[in-house]
Amino acid sequence: MNNKPKVGFYSFSGCEGDLLTILHCEDELLDIFSAVDIRSFRMASSERHDDENLDIAFIEGSITTNKHVKKLKVIRERSKIVVALGTCACYGGPQSARLGYNDWEERFKKVYGSAKLTVAKPFESQPLDEFIKVDYRIPGCPIDKYQFFYALTRLAKGMPVELTKFPVCAECKWNENECLLLKGQLCLGPITAGGCNSRCPNHGLPCIGCWGPTDEANVASEINLLKEKDFSAEEIINKLRLFGGAGMVRRFGELLGIKPKEEKTLSKTQGVSKKKREKK
Amino acid sequence: MKALKLKRDDLYTYLESLKSYGELWGPVAKGEKYVYARLTNVRDVALGALRTIIPPKKFFVPPRFTMFRYTDDHYAESFDDVKPRVLFGLHPCDIHGLLILDELFLERFPDPYYKRRRDATAIVGLSCIPDDKCMARSTNTHAVEGGFDLAFNELGNNYLVWIGSSLGDDLVRLNLDLFSEDIEPEDLKTYLAWRRKRDSRYKLSFDLTGMPDIMELSWDSPMWNELAEKCLACGSCSMVCPTCNCYNVRDVSDLTLNSGVRERHWDSCMNKEYALVAGGHNFREARAERLKLWYTHKLKAFITEYGKPSCVGCGRCIDTCPVDINVAEVIRGLTGQKVTL
Ligand code: SF4
Ligand code: SF4
Ligand code: SF4
Ligand code: SF4
Repeated sequence: MNNKPKVGFYSFSGCEGDLLTILHCEDELLDIFSAVDIRSFRMASSERHDDENLDIAFIEGSITTNKHVKKLKVIRERSKIVVALGTCACYGGPQSARLGYNDWEERFKKVYGSAKLTVAKPFESQPLDEFIKVDYRIPGCPIDKYQFFYALTRLAKGMPVELTKFPVCAECKWNENECLLLKGQLCLGPITAGGCNSRCPNHGLPCIGCWGPTDEANVASEINLLKEKDFSAEEIINKLRLFGGAGMVRRFGELLGIKPKEEKTLSKTQGVSKKKREKK
Repeated sequence: MKALKLKRDDLYTYLESLKSYGELWGPVAKGEKYVYARLTNVRDVALGALRTIIPPKKFFVPPRFTMFRYTDDHYAESFDDVKPRVLFGLHPCDIHGLLILDELFLERFPDPYYKRRRDATAIVGLSCIPDDKCMARSTNTHAVEGGFDLAFNELGNNYLVWIGSSLGDDLVRLNLDLFSEDIEPEDLKTYLAWRRKRDSRYKLSFDLTGMPDIMELSWDSPMWNELAEKCLACGSCSMVCPTCNCYNVRDVSDLTLNSGVRERHWDSCMNKEYALVAGGHNFREARAERLKLWYTHKLKAFITEYGKPSCVGCGRCIDTCPVDINVAEVIRGLTGQKVTL
């Protein structure tokens, strides 16, 4: 019917806030639908074309069951470009805050007891790239609609996407906020990916890192700085892990008190928690 | 340059008169800091403000703005936000900062976006008494002899008002009755005493002679690596420095895909991607290299090319860097004094 790029939107474990952000773009929604050929968007339409190939798949949410993995791999196979949408898809989200501590089963039992699981085999929440190759990451909890438009238009024109590389501090300065870190608050702005227009500091709230770490996050220096400001190691680490998920654990595990070795075991046993259970 | 006197009590009345030239902007309090903001009510002006979070460069190169709107076969520049403005309350270091930006944006390759905004803006300076982060005396930017249309200097119960341009002369004429030409011998004494008081307040004092040589000799100093270990690469130092002028541009397409805008936003050499080129090579991958560039720019390259440092001593980097990397620490480190990080 046309040569517009075929696009699908998919959702795994998360609050669906990213897709909602897109749906809430009332002024732009018609333009989005005319810029690309949307073949699947469960929240917007029941019409689905789940068997055809796509140019771009936008995927939100983290991966938490073996069924997810299967579905995710099929989407990957069908799509030329896969974009992780939102912090859950990029890093695992808050549900991945305890990655690497290897206490998922214990926590699972606390909540669900020893109920028999028949629908799917669950495991600790992981980002998309634990299982498939991800071409672009649009972080955010939720995403920023302008950053999404930017990525969408670039991709629709067949161009690569370059998102904000600055940490939150840059935009925070552009907005001329009083620096909360200098005022003694636990602000993660210096190590957190920008592009959110420093939304929280603009309202006097310190950055909680919901866009995940920047490419060059100097987490060691940030931790030292916060310790000098009298925050406890525990408090700092909890804050770093809340949204940092795999983004923090993989790159800065040691700083968070996770031995790199355990980390390896973790990714090997990914989605096969049975093996781990047998070992015990 | 001509000097007049204005009674302190008449300042607000005069500020109100300035509005007939255009929008009036000046420093106002934001929490414990200051920012340049529109003075709808002239009494909001913070006369005791020292440094604002962002220097007045924001008026001439906004942190981000639209350069032009394009369609498939046409583009139209956008100057919608350029209107006549009076900036009141610029301290000497910030005026020097603008003079440096003028060299960069108006001389060899005039930048139309900068020029339009600069031409539409009247600069009204204001004298100040330094605090412990000011180091303008070391950079010889603590007084101004040009670069303003009017400059107000505290003088007992009066302001001494220097007229620095014909526009300044016109601005005085907006309410000529408020000004007096009777400068008395006593005024000179008061003025000189005030200057001595100002000069005695600088806590930071550095000898910057031969700085390019010292930078050259320090090229392999371990100091750079030590600083780099602390540096968060947040770019804040560039954002707040009145002479940092780097920017990036990007095209943002409309969703219709056949039109869009070219945006321009501040950049920083502390950003890792700053020296990344096609093919993936990065000339300054290491943070230490980037810090070195930053300070080379302030203390070496600019001196070699323009005969003065591109640090105007405003103290903003001292006030801003979360891990206390700043021009004072670097000068101390380079000149052999211990860096107290
Ligand atoms: S408030 Fe936070 S985000 Fe803003 S400049 Fe300070 S540290 Fe950076
Ligand atoms: S403000 Fe400080 S921490 Fe941030 S980039 Fe500059 S030197 Fe590094
Ligand atoms: S110090 Fe860096 S950001 Fe500032 S003007 Fe120089 S190159 Fe640009
Ligand atoms: S280097 Fe620091 S003190 Fe010097 S002009 Fe820049 S911000 Fe001001």
